[in-house]
Amino acid sequence: MSSSPVIEARGLVKRMPSGERLLTILEGIDLGIEAGELVAVLGPSGSGKSTLLALLAGLDRPTEGTVCLDGTELAGLGEDELALVRRRRVGFVFQSFQLLPNLTAFENVALPLELTGIPDANERATKVLGEVGLAARRDHYPAQLSGGEQQRVAVARAFAGEPSVLFADEPTGNLDGSTGERVLELLLDLRARHGTTLVLVTHDPKIAARAERRVHLRDGRLERDERNQDA
Amino acid sequence: MSTHRSDGPGVAVARPWRAFGRAVLLEGRAARGRLVFFIGALSVGVAAVVGVAALVGAFEAGLRSESRTLLGGDLRAEARRPLPDSVKTALDDLPHARADLRELAATASQGDRSRLVELKVISGGFPFAGELTLEPVDFPVRELDGEGVVVAPDLAASLGAEIGDEILLGGATFQLRALVVDEPDRIGFQMSLGPRAILSAEGFARTDLEGLTSRARYLSVWSFAEDYDAARLAELKERLESAVDEPEFLRVQSHTEAQPSIRRSLVQVEKFLGLVALLSLLLGGLGVSQIVRAWLAGRTQAVAVLRCLGLRAREIAVLYLGNVMLLALIGSAFGALAGMLVPIGVRALAPDLFAGPGTTLIQPLAALRGAGLGVAVAVLFSLPSLTTVWSVAPAVALRAESAPLPVPRSVRWLAPLAVALGLVSVARLQGGSWLEALAFTGGLALLALVLWGGAWLLSWLVARVPRGRIPATLSHGLASLARPGAGTTGAIVALGLGVLVVVSMGLVAGGLRRELQESLPEDAPSVFLLDVQPDQWEAVREDLSEVGARAVGTAPVAMGRLRAIDGVPVKDLIEGRRDAGRAAWMFTRELRMTWLEELAPDNEIIDGELWSNPDEFELSVEVEFARSMGVEVGSRVRIDVQGIAVDLLVTSLRTVEWQSFDINFFLVVEPGALEGAPHFRLAVARIEPPEREMELQTELAGSVPNVTMLRVRPLLEALGVLVARITAGVRGLGAFTIVTGLVILAGSVATSALRRGREAALLKSLGVTRGGVARLFAVEFALVGLVAGLIGSLGAVILAQVFLTQVADVAAAVEWSAIGYSTLGTVVLAVAAGLLASRKPLSAPPADTLRG
Repeated sequence: MSSSPVIEARGLVKRMPSGERLLTILEGIDLGIEAGELVAVLGPSGSGKSTLLALLAGLDRPTEGTVCLDGTELAGLGEDELALVRRRRVGFVFQSFQLLPNLTAFENVALPLELTGIPDANERATKVLGEVGLAARRDHYPAQLSGGEQQRVAVARAFAGEPSVLFADEPTGNLDGSTGERVLELLLDLRARHGTTLVLVTHDPKIAARAERRVHLRDGRLERDERNQDA
Repeated sequence: MSTHRSDGPGVAVARPWRAFGRAVLLEGRAARGRLVFFIGALSVGVAAVVGVAALVGAFEAGLRSESRTLLGGDLRAEARRPLPDSVKTALDDLPHARADLRELAATASQGDRSRLVELKVISGGFPFAGELTLEPVDFPVRELDGEGVVVAPDLAASLGAEIGDEILLGGATFQLRALVVDEPDRIGFQMSLGPRAILSAEGFARTDLEGLTSRARYLSVWSFAEDYDAARLAELKERLESAVDEPEFLRVQSHTEAQPSIRRSLVQVEKFLGLVALLSLLLGGLGVSQIVRAWLAGRTQAVAVLRCLGLRAREIAVLYLGNVMLLALIGSAFGALAGMLVPIGVRALAPDLFAGPGTTLIQPLAALRGAGLGVAVAVLFSLPSLTTVWSVAPAVALRAESAPLPVPRSVRWLAPLAVALGLVSVARLQGGSWLEALAFTGGLALLALVLWGGAWLLSWLVARVPRGRIPATLSHGLASLARPGAGTTGAIVALGLGVLVVVSMGLVAGGLRRELQESLPEDAPSVFLLDVQPDQWEAVREDLSEVGARAVGTAPVAMGRLRAIDGVPVKDLIEGRRDAGRAAWMFTRELRMTWLEELAPDNEIIDGELWSNPDEFELSVEVEFARSMGVEVGSRVRIDVQGIAVDLLVTSLRTVEWQSFDINFFLVVEPGALEGAPHFRLAVARIEPPEREMELQTELAGSVPNVTMLRVRPLLEALGVLVARITAGVRGLGAFTIVTGLVILAGSVATSALRRGREAALLKSLGVTRGGVARLFAVEFALVGLVAGLIGSLGAVILAQVFLTQVADVAAAVEWSAIGYSTLGTVVLAVAAGLLASRKPLSAPPADTLRG
């Protein structure tokens, strides 16, 4: 693929206060991700994977360095402007699903679309819930769904907004092996169909094996950035 | 706002109002837990506000709907002196009926029983509107002849008289024809000297009361053949006022004004009670604030997810604000409904307070206004809590420990500013003026600050108690209270303020009642004799000695009316005053004066010298009276005494110890100036035992019927009842604030149910019984009650003491014991409310909770 990077991070540093001293979470990260790429961010616990994801998605601000997301430089944006960037260009899948417990499966997908002003929210929600195989369970609340089903709803929510980049933080981390696999298949399938760039954080080798590119972090530094020829 | 907005480069989308509305409703699904306490905290306050407004509204509606009945006709003129013919005939060119009435105090007796009555003399077909309710019902009061009298049932009962019996009144005998069960132009707002007795003009002419009483009110009532509107009646009112040289002494009222003096009092009552009720609503707001804070704290993840999904902080805040408004509407509606029932309840308890049967008890406007206030207060108080939405970092959805975002300065300052402005505006709406609103808000803020300081101090202290040395139960309670974010500060502030209102009102009421009933000096007079004519004094003195009266005192009294001060006529004096209404009353009132060589010992000259100018007739004036009249030593005062102008020079100002209950006057004239004027004597005496006062009353009713005997003890008792009624109203409203405080406490306990559930489960799994866990929780609630009770009741004792000694001028001992029992009461209530709210975590099986 020879397009311009959809995400470009330069000299990313993230430091956080810990007691009276500053703890360095990330140090000197340079990373470019092309549109449509599937990138797995790997590393042991505490290596800074989730922090990198948050910075790339505009959920958090770097102490130093810059992030350019889909042509927009995030550094100069205020919180509201960052929200507008996320609204149109970014989707998320979280490890702990993060569904709103007071909404049904359908509402969890449709309401965010409606709130962000998408006119055909209901149609989109119905379609994407069908795509994840939950059309029959659309009126169930999260508490009435299994973990796998909840994550499928989260995946549907993420794709319903048709983002250009999808960030997934340990999307199968809270699921058993076979359920996790099914959710991963679904995620990859949808990503392929929608042509979405997917950046996922994982320490599961099976998931990493499916990624086109693997970025390894260790102690907050980019240890290795490799192309997966088998993917 | 436009229907489209810019949404990032090149994107325009429809405004999702409907989606927001739906999101608000959907968020309500997660609200069940806090619903009860949110609605509870708010509805109690709204009920108090609506209750006061609805009650006053019902009184007013009664006054308006019964206005003709209350006036007895269309137009009424009244004065403390006989109305001149120029007034009576001023409207003779219009087709009308007129009745001339008078009202005065007199003594009625039968055999050896007697009682002071408020006598009304009717004529000319009065009343023109409304009917007296009489028993027997077929008795036509307009045909009451010169031989008959109708009286209130309690007078008949106290005299032991029955229909057909003879009653002695003003030296003449009348036959009791009927009992007055209800008098439409009399409502139970004012204090009365005694029960009603009604005579016809012919009957009154047979008495010895004509011209010998100083306290009569003279009235003429007109009923017109045509139905005149307010403007026409106002024009006729002016005609009546211009029919006399001194219109100041005349009070003319049309029925369209509907009892202006009572309505003025009602406005004052509404203002005062309205502010007390507002206190309860504001505390409800405090509760709402706490509940919203706890609610948002539990929704941090949801807020973070919404931010991840691209919603801006202000959009999320609007979403939650919408939910607050929804709950506020429900809570306010409940409160408004409850408040609307207050007039119905009060009417059932005290029907005499309402004018006529047609009073509209349901006051929808009061309910709407109260509900509006409720929503406004809920929104205002939730604003600071809603600003926490800005601080939730979207990264929290990934990592719970993500650092909070800084809240924008505009949001940080706007919320408290909106609360402050909103509070003053709400107080202004309830209280009447901006100054009062500021004073109320400032005072409340100060009290809240003191209570908040107390709560903070408590947390600080308990965190430093060496827990190893105290019993485990107490140690655990202290630890719970010291835990960061225990959420009990609001409960302490609210409960404390409630205790302060209730206890201070109780202390003030008690102090005033004691002052009225018990603090009379040993030799203070127990009877006052009014209108004793100079030639009757000897006979009265004999009657007094026959009943063993002691401390007998007497003074001559001449009646006069102010004409001018320092050459400025009364009319001009009134016009120059800002408070023209009060000034008109003050300058035109009937003045009672005496003359004395030496002042009584309870008088003290503080300026000038008594009878120090041999060339002029002098006047000594009580200092407060002098201040209100605007006179000082050296002022020249002209007083009209029965048509003769008397010029007096003010040569001394003095203080008077009115509590002595001895004969004292605002105005004392130098002997020689008034002796020739018509006058009567005022006498006082102490009679023991009180039963002998009745003997004297009966004796005087027979021998000198024009003399009015006022008994001090029953008057003070009646005044005590009046004080008790007023303070009971305020205390009732104060109880609302306590209930609000308890709801807030229960609310803060319920919002920590999860934490308490885990704690209870853990303790139970360690072998502590349910009772044991309840005891641990109870210690925590008791400490909250202890601090709120201590600070609230200490504040109440101080406030009540300041009010009694500085405002009411009562020498009251500080009631320290009140702190003990009211603190104990608060502790009991706090423990009960806290345990009630903890019953779920207490009863849950430990395994369920620990499994999560």
